[in-house]
Amino acid sequence: MAVVASTSQPHHTLWGDAFIRLRRNRLAIAGGIVILLIGLGAIFVPLISPYGYAKQDLDAILQGPSWGHPLGTDALGRDVLTRLFYGARISLAVGLFAQAIVLAIGLPVGAFSAWVGGRVDNIIMRLVDVMYAFPDILLIILLRAILGGTIYMMFLAIGLVAWVNVARLSRGQILSLKQQDFVTAARAMGASGRYITLRHLLPNSLGPIIVAVTFNVPRAIFAEAALSYIGIGINPPTPSWGNMIRDGYDVIFAAPYLMIFPAIAIGILMLAFTFLGDGLRDALDPRLRR
Amino acid sequence: MRKIAVSSLFAILVTVILVFTSACGGGGGGDGGGGPEKTVSQVLRVNLAGEPATIDPNKASWAGEYTPVWQVFQGLLGFNQDLTLKAVVAREIPSVANGGISPDGKTYTFKLRPDATWSDGTKVTAKDFEYSIKRLLSPDLAAAYASFYFDIVGAEAYNGAGDKDETTKAQLKNSVGVKALDDLTLQITLAQPRPTFLQLMALWPTYPLREDIITQYGDRWTEPSHYIGNGPFILTDWVHQDHMTFKANPNYWGTKPKLTEIQMKMITDVNAEIAAYRNNELEISRVPTGTEKAIMADPGLSKEILRYPALITFALQFNVTKPPFDNVKVRRALVTAVDRVSFVDKVRNGVGEPALSWIPPGMPGYDPDLGKEYQFNPAKAKQLLAEAGYADVSKLPEIKFQYADSTGNRLIAQFLQGQLKDNLGINLTLDPMEPKAFTTLVNNENYDSAWLGWSADYPDPDNWLPELFGTGAGNNHTGYSNPQFDALAKQAKSELDNTKRLQIWAEAQKIVMADAPIAPVFYREQFVLVKPSVKGLKTTGMDGQIVGDLFLADVYLTE
Amino acid sequence: MLKYIIKRILWIIPVLLAVAFITFSLMHLVPGGPWDRDKQLAPQVVENLNHKYGLDKPFVVQFKDFLWNTVHGNLGVSYSYQDRGVTNILLEGLPKTATLGIIAFILAILIGIPLGMVAALKQNSAVDYASVLFSTIFASIPGFVLGILLMIVFSVELHWLPTGGWGGIKQIIMPAFALAAMSAAYIARITRASMLEVMHQDYIRTARAKGLSERVILFRHALRNALIPVTTVAGPELAFLVSGSFIIENLFSIPGIGRLFVQGIFARDYGLVMGAILFYALAVALVNLIVDTLYAVVDPRIRYE
Repeated sequence: MAVVASTSQPHHTLWGDAFIRLRRNRLAIAGGIVILLIGLGAIFVPLISPYGYAKQDLDAILQGPSWGHPLGTDALGRDVLTRLFYGARISLAVGLFAQAIVLAIGLPVGAFSAWVGGRVDNIIMRLVDVMYAFPDILLIILLRAILGGTIYMMFLAIGLVAWVNVARLSRGQILSLKQQDFVTAARAMGASGRYITLRHLLPNSLGPIIVAVTFNVPRAIFAEAALSYIGIGINPPTPSWGNMIRDGYDVIFAAPYLMIFPAIAIGILMLAFTFLGDGLRDALDPRLRR
Repeated sequence: MRKIAVSSLFAILVTVILVFTSACGGGGGGDGGGGPEKTVSQVLRVNLAGEPATIDPNKASWAGEYTPVWQVFQGLLGFNQDLTLKAVVAREIPSVANGGISPDGKTYTFKLRPDATWSDGTKVTAKDFEYSIKRLLSPDLAAAYASFYFDIVGAEAYNGAGDKDETTKAQLKNSVGVKALDDLTLQITLAQPRPTFLQLMALWPTYPLREDIITQYGDRWTEPSHYIGNGPFILTDWVHQDHMTFKANPNYWGTKPKLTEIQMKMITDVNAEIAAYRNNELEISRVPTGTEKAIMADPGLSKEILRYPALITFALQFNVTKPPFDNVKVRRALVTAVDRVSFVDKVRNGVGEPALSWIPPGMPGYDPDLGKEYQFNPAKAKQLLAEAGYADVSKLPEIKFQYADSTGNRLIAQFLQGQLKDNLGINLTLDPMEPKAFTTLVNNENYDSAWLGWSADYPDPDNWLPELFGTGAGNNHTGYSNPQFDALAKQAKSELDNTKRLQIWAEAQKIVMADAPIAPVFYREQFVLVKPSVKGLKTTGMDGQIVGDLFLADVYLTE
Repeated sequence: MLKYIIKRILWIIPVLLAVAFITFSLMHLVPGGPWDRDKQLAPQVVENLNHKYGLDKPFVVQFKDFLWNTVHGNLGVSYSYQDRGVTNILLEGLPKTATLGIIAFILAILIGIPLGMVAALKQNSAVDYASVLFSTIFASIPGFVLGILLMIVFSVELHWLPTGGWGGIKQIIMPAFALAAMSAAYIARITRASMLEVMHQDYIRTARAKGLSERVILFRHALRNALIPVTTVAGPELAFLVSGSFIIENLFSIPGIGRLFVQGIFARDYGLVMGAILFYALAVALVNLIVDTLYAVVDPRIRYE
């Protein structure tokens, strides 16, 4: 008895266990810290920077990096570093909230459709087909005409056109898990569909979904950049990394750094989310014992 | 084992890529040119920047559409480089002196040259012009420029008969005042005298057309094999969305062009265009807005710059029916609060001219002394605002500035916002829109303040003032109305003495500038790169999509 | 299975109808019409244009006419390109966009899957980190940024490749890469993630215990199962590549319909947009069908009723 007791694991819930393992993953922690730093920088930039994001200095146009402006100035003499941090606010917000909408709509729709199956699944998937085949641009233009170029429009626009992917993904995952033995066992024990979905299927299907979401955050940021590129982005002078990439793209032959810096910023954020997402996925997988 | 499998996949991929890229080794990646270096290739490659919606002369209304038309067709009259008129297919410019214009100014008689021919050899006759102009006015064609010619007898009635039956339409068409008296004489009767009518006859909607071809091929007549014109070039190839090729017309009745071929590409992205230029794929290229300074500093490219003023003015327009812009002092205050000189010199690298009045330099009617009271003066601006009752700017309602989103517009919008904030403390809310939404907003007069750009259809104040500032005029979206202006405009429209006419327009412009329904900001200057091999390029303020496209027949290549 | 496929094909028709109706409505709800321009046309001219193109008829009649014409194979006229029919325009542009999308897709798969596999098999090694770095770099560059960088390096500086157009391998390689990069990175990540999951499953341990060679395990068991999530995303990736090529087509002047479509929306070219929508919706529906079928083939545990 005593031998068994000392070799068995202490009781952890799935999430508690996950948290412990996450803590051990150095890369994931690093990723989380970077995101936190960028977030803090975005919040406290008014206190740190002597420049406002809209302050134009017509005598300092398109200057390269210097002591006064560590990352240079843009076409209206505004400080790039300051704008980058203000832009982080927008980009982080768009990335996170758009994904929140995506998850809030996509996960339940996909999971529900997969669990119920049959006719309902068919109809929902056809509706998803319609959403897919739908010209996102048109929807976004209409949303913009109604809501204006505010950040809420961005969340909604990107979220509304991106949820279908997560729906398909979650449905795919649930479909393959549905047939597994532990599900049959749970059902035999009398668990309801909802219980099984929430307690067993969703956590197990989270792996690829988490990866998809950590990739989708920067994708949402890109979507914002692409929309800024064609002219239906966030209203200036509010800087977003998408706006800044667009502005930099316009003058790339004169000042390449204007486009490179926001691109690097997105890259860093992306790396951070990737490591964090990987860590989360590894932590949540009960079979990965290393 | 798995390493081999995976790495073999990699190896294949890398090999494939290397094969692809090495297959295009040597050579400049360009097309055209090449061949033996003894004679220089006379192929000019330019960028049309997009596929034209149509190249039918009657229907063409955008620069990308009439630029191809200008190479293949020629009209009765044309423009010289200084924008005076010249006779092309007509033997001479009609005037009262030579009997071409009747003393009451209502009847124009054009005598054609006997030697003008189409590219397939047939002669150009007055009937070709009559057919074309009547077709232009046809309600079924729904041509954009039809309304420019409503002074012609019966034109408006015919154009308005869209829902009538065929017999009525035919009758109305017959009563349009355009008649070919014989093969070489065309007579046009106007309902009222129009002093600028000759300029309208130099525009492309009146170019001659071949009735036989259009009747036979219908809408397909603009495809290269049927697109027969009477100009120096013929359209030999049109790969949609990709490029158009023009070759010199061997049967051209005038001075044959030195170029053997013109290729018009359809590169829509400005960065891609200048990359193509630097990769020797184009001889002429536009320059991305904002990079002019870097180009002027580049040792190689700075020698290839070509700059000249375009007849385009950009201004801030106010909706004078909406507060606070219903108060002329507020408008004047805003006009005075913008540092245009800094904008042009610093933000636009000196490309362009600060504008204090509406009509640009190079146009008849330009007044360099007009508008001096609006020179940048923040103190005066504040005072004007105070006089208007807004000493405390927070009392102003929210002011929105709307514009169509584009690189240049974004820059100017943010600049204006900065100026008003720094100099007057006013917060301008920027509202970029996509182009159609923007034009609808302005045309429905739902805006507060908006960006306005105006370019010349023809070089006369007739095209710049009444349309925009006449009460209820078609392009007047400021809501501006001044009976004094209207009276002067009416006078000028029918004044046959040119000097007197221009004086009247000058007075009219003064009135507009005093009332300030618009705040001119700058005049556009064209800034392009041209390869040193290109010679004989003649630029005008009326150029279409491509610099010098009115005179491409005079261009040749050296080196 | 066959019954399922046939049912899905039949479902395509109501889906297309729904998409057509929603698009048609949205196009007319969005502010601005095809004839609006800065130098406003005379009201008479606008009236003539509306009459010529049937835009003065009531909304329902217009939609009915559109459906009727479509069923008869006539997709109508484009206002942006007035002398050619919509069918003509689409038939010319579609193959180019599709070719570009497919080549980009193949590139994405050829780069992404092996990369993901290697990273998973050598987890936490240098190769793994390198692949993560690679996929992050290419995933953090928006298509048009990568495109212009490629253009600057290979056309402007090295003069190896032309800056765009359509006609040969030289012209398609940069746009295909620019388009494929992000998808390749995404596919690599998904492959890695699902390979990792699969490699630690019990049945893989059993197979190893049975003495099967690593190669057989890899290709016969692991890969097949790992590819399931990849198949799920492959479909939308393909759809995205074929449609999301507007920015790349614009930059490299590729005469495809991606560019036309977005321009058409901005220009309120109802005819062109409706025609393009139908093509696109059909393509997406078919791709989804193929993906779902592949799903069932690849994963024997999935059954469709």
